Amino acid sequence: MVVWTLLVFGWLCSSALAQISISAPQDMRVFDTPSDGGGSLTVQWAPSSWDGPDARYQVLAGDAAVTDPAALTIIAEFPGNSKYVKDAKTAWWTRNVDKTWHQVLVRSAKGFEVKDGIFYAVAVAAVQGDQRVFSQVLVASPSPDWFNWNQLNNLIIALSFGGLVFYSISYAKRHEIFLRRIPGLDAVDEAIGRATELGKPILYLTGAHDLHDPSTIAAAVILGKVAKRAALYETELLVPHREPITMAVCQEITKQAYLEAGKPDLFKEDANFFITADQFSYTAAVDGIMLRKKPAANFFMGAYFAESLLLTETGASTGAIQIAGTDSDHQLPFFVTTCDYTLIGEELYAASAYLSKEPVQIGTLLGQDIGKAVVLSAIGIGIVLATVGAVTGAQWPQLFLDLLRDLK
Amino acid sequence: MIFLRRQLPLLITLVTGLLFAAQYYVPHPASEQMLTSATKWLQIVGGFALILGVTSLFHQHAVKIRRQEAGWGYSLVLYVGMLGTIAVGLWTNGKESVEGTMTAFGWIYNYMMVPLQGTMFAILAFFIASAAYRSFRAKSREAAVLLVAAVIVMMGRVPLGEYLIPLSGDVSSWILNVLNSSVRRAILIGVSLGAVALSFKIIFGVERSYLGGGKE
Amino acid sequence: MWMAGMTFSEKMLKIDRRIIFLMIGLCTLLPLLYPVGLPIKTSSEVRGVYDHIESLPEGSVFLLSIDFDPASKPELYPQAIALLRHAFKKNLHVITMTLWVSGTGMADQLVTQVAKEMGKENGTDYTFLGWSPGGQAVIINMGQDLYSAYPSDYRGKPTKELPILEGVRSLKDVGYMVSLGAGRPGVEEWYVFGKDKYKFEMGGGCTGVMAPGLYPLLRSGQINGLIGGLRGAAEYENLIGQKGKAVAGMDAQSATHLAIIALVIMCNLFYFSLRQQKG
Repeated sequence: MVVWTLLVFGWLCSSALAQISISAPQDMRVFDTPSDGGGSLTVQWAPSSWDGPDARYQVLAGDAAVTDPAALTIIAEFPGNSKYVKDAKTAWWTRNVDKTWHQVLVRSAKGFEVKDGIFYAVAVAAVQGDQRVFSQVLVASPSPDWFNWNQLNNLIIALSFGGLVFYSISYAKRHEIFLRRIPGLDAVDEAIGRATELGKPILYLTGAHDLHDPSTIAAAVILGKVAKRAALYETELLVPHREPITMAVCQEITKQAYLEAGKPDLFKEDANFFITADQFSYTAAVDGIMLRKKPAANFFMGAYFAESLLLTETGASTGAIQIAGTDSDHQLPFFVTTCDYTLIGEELYAASAYLSKEPVQIGTLLGQDIGKAVVLSAIGIGIVLATVGAVTGAQWPQLFLDLLRDLK
Repeated sequence: MIFLRRQLPLLITLVTGLLFAAQYYVPHPASEQMLTSATKWLQIVGGFALILGVTSLFHQHAVKIRRQEAGWGYSLVLYVGMLGTIAVGLWTNGKESVEGTMTAFGWIYNYMMVPLQGTMFAILAFFIASAAYRSFRAKSREAAVLLVAAVIVMMGRVPLGEYLIPLSGDVSSWILNVLNSSVRRAILIGVSLGAVALSFKIIFGVERSYLGGGKE
Repeated sequence: MWMAGMTFSEKMLKIDRRIIFLMIGLCTLLPLLYPVGLPIKTSSEVRGVYDHIESLPEGSVFLLSIDFDPASKPELYPQAIALLRHAFKKNLHVITMTLWVSGTGMADQLVTQVAKEMGKENGTDYTFLGWSPGGQAVIINMGQDLYSAYPSDYRGKPTKELPILEGVRSLKDVGYMVSLGAGRPGVEEWYVFGKDKYKFEMGGGCTGVMAPGLYPLLRSGQINGLIGGLRGAAEYENLIGQKGKAVAGMDAQSATHLAIIALVIMCNLFYFSLRQQKG
């Protein structure tokens, strides 16, 4: 009996809810989408008490001259409890309404094109069953913007980090800074010395990428240091390349290294040579060089892919000392397994500082370390704030979390 | 001369570096257009640079053939292969098939390049095994942890492993999703900071060794 | 190598690597000749891609970028076949392309073969745009104007006139995108220069070696699914109910994995026995 009463009560309640009449969307606003590349309008309106899965919203748009909302084209239709401001990836400093408001972007779609500088009429309709209630028709025009304010946090962080690096460099010029030992780099001299003793060449690879990639630049910088020592010890240097521009740059670097070592006459133009840009053809050629010339030391610096193991395993079979340095994290296991020493990730960037001991380079390392400490602290603080926000339901942690978020 | 070799390249680096760093924050189509145009220029410069590379390659092997160095026959193969492929490619307009019929260029692609590349990639499996046998030893506590993790992941990624140890699938998935992801993120953060610092130094001319020519 | 005076453990640790190669060769070959057909469990990362394609309404635009060359064919080709079969079965508008010049011919064969098998027509149900120079620049270009990035398809037909590309002006009009990448440009470039800028949903596929490296993208929701290596392809083949080369290759992969595990255990046993002998 009790169950039956409850069921009837429930049915009465749901019927009553279904009969709640919908009203026109309130406080609607239409404007050019801020911080975008144009071609888009933003429509916002306040949430209603009847918002739910049964009621639906329609966003309509059309020519600016149209005043009757029913004559506009439906460009989006969705349940009343969806499409909120909070769903958009924006920060609090760019938000102009509460997160609970509805928000839809009007963009070009099949049969409806949104062009910059042209005015469009936009309306929102609330729909439930046969009922359809329109908001007023508003007019706006899209235009592209010159700054994405959502990325302001990113810009501030980048500039601060840049400032930090330059401050650290100037600090390093004035103070002595301790540099942790990098065993892989200590082995560079040992490897070159061994090659000299055996009268065999040194093989140096700069990786798969061109000079767009910082890891290739780091590899080229280290090449300068290695070439200088090779010149001092009068040991042959072989640098096969996958990219012609990198080859040309490395030729210059090597030439300079020989000049600085006081052995310009030993410099050979064809120490740096191009093989091919193709991954496995290059690998086959370098493997061939390893097997024929049997270099005593192999250096693998820069970015690598599946060829890494094919190169290092062949090198290991010839008995060469192998030193790798890469930021290609997916290839690290192969290098660690098959090489005598591996510079892991940022150690590749630290290598030139370690080898040269120049204040500019050491200062950069200091800046990076402070940067890492900041990132670590941000992760820690972020975890605490996000947890507090989730547990208490408080909104204030979001003010801080947005500062650390990747916003578009 | 010093202006052309030093100051001008550094000035170009400063201006373009700042311009393209700023581009990231500008959503205007003009900024995107600038990025696309610059990338196209790079492609064109890259195309010319290829001439530099090919010249180096030909020169290197021509010297080997002339001096009849050990393995000069391979250099001859390179000349024949390269010139032959270029000639066939030009002849067939770079098409591998015309109306369903395979061209000579298609034949080279399908019956030479595909199997040769496949072979090189397949060697990986053999090398992984020999490298693992030679180096994967529990020399320390850390190495032992790595060893156990590797065995679990290897078991969990194949049906037979999951069949023999049903839990290995879930454990390997956890290792990949949680431990592996967090470690890689840590490496990525370090690498990214290093890359950003290097970029700043290059843009502002603090790091110049990539230009060659040393310090003035 | 087999010097006198060496203990058994020492000899075993310095075993000729050709013996290991032979063992791996046999472990690959025998299961291919005599398949067992072990059951394959579906992982959540592969299901992510499958479920998303499954949820797309008929006629949605699906972009598949075949970013690999013949070297990675054994792992990525079955992934591409399974994805295309699924997309065609769902009657999606399939746009295919490649960012790897050396993969162009292979990609064309692949798309044509699956389309023929599924009875789909070029230009109406699918298109292969071919290769365009520039790597990541092509992605940016496509994000602005697809017709200018690819003025014509692989067969030379103007893209503006292709019925399948009607209304697909840029990457913003793509419903779902999957990059099957064997390196760079690949999944990461499609995320950084594509999804991040032009906001479309994307998934990824890669070789087994690269998969662990892409898990951070997966965990942070930057890609909604990942098909990793031959195993991933086999899972996808299972999901669409059309078993192919990947499922067939799983037995061989099982055997080689177990062989490597056995080798690692053996080498550790010899290593420890040698250490004990040396005190």
